[in-house]
Amino acid sequence: MAADNAPRWPDRPPGQPQLPSLRRHPVRKLLIGAGLVTYSWFAASTVPFTRNALLIVLVPGAVVGFMAYGRPPARIPPPESLDVTGFSYWAITIAALFEWEAAAFKDSSQWWHPALTDLVDPMLDAHPVKAAAILIWLLTGWGLVRR
Amino acid sequence: MVTRVVTIAGFAIVILALFVLEFLGRRKNSRIPTLGQWLGFVMRNRVGRFLILLGWLWLGWHYFAR
Repeated sequence: MAADNAPRWPDRPPGQPQLPSLRRHPVRKLLIGAGLVTYSWFAASTVPFTRNALLIVLVPGAVVGFMAYGRPPARIPPPESLDVTGFSYWAITIAALFEWEAAAFKDSSQWWHPALTDLVDPMLDAHPVKAAAILIWLLTGWGLVRR
Repeated sequence: MVTRVVTIAGFAIVILALFVLEFLGRRKNSRIPTLGQWLGFVMRNRVGRFLILLGWLWLGWHYFAR
């Protein structure tokens, strides 16, 4: 991606110490990765609609919120502008996804017209799949904080 | 039965299209931005950043907490 080639920490003023790069600290990277995998594995064992299930989402949410607004990491510089036509393909596709989901939701998500949630939920019943999904969600949160 | 298959196929096509767009966006000199590029563009200001992070949190709550 083009944006990844730009300086990694453009927001940090000169003179201020930069956050250490995980690339320069493979052991730290490994430990954080192991921590995330462990967290995901245990988080996947929570039962939906319980306090623990809520906490396994709220805790990362609070951490990401703190990182995003309290101590922002170095961000990947965004592009100065977007090609409207190019972006419209994304907008149309995402709108189609929402429309398809809304159509199922409007029909009360019957078996013959399931919502995406009804299709995904049975997959998440498998513990490894749910753990992997939580891990992807956590990594996505980290990726978003850097944007 | 047919309706269910059509519904699932619809989801599959749209999700596949998202992956195709990402693939096309990663080509050299592509006019299509990658997911990361347009998300970064939307998240340049605090409101966009807040809304995207809120969406991320909602996804986690929706699929893992309930």
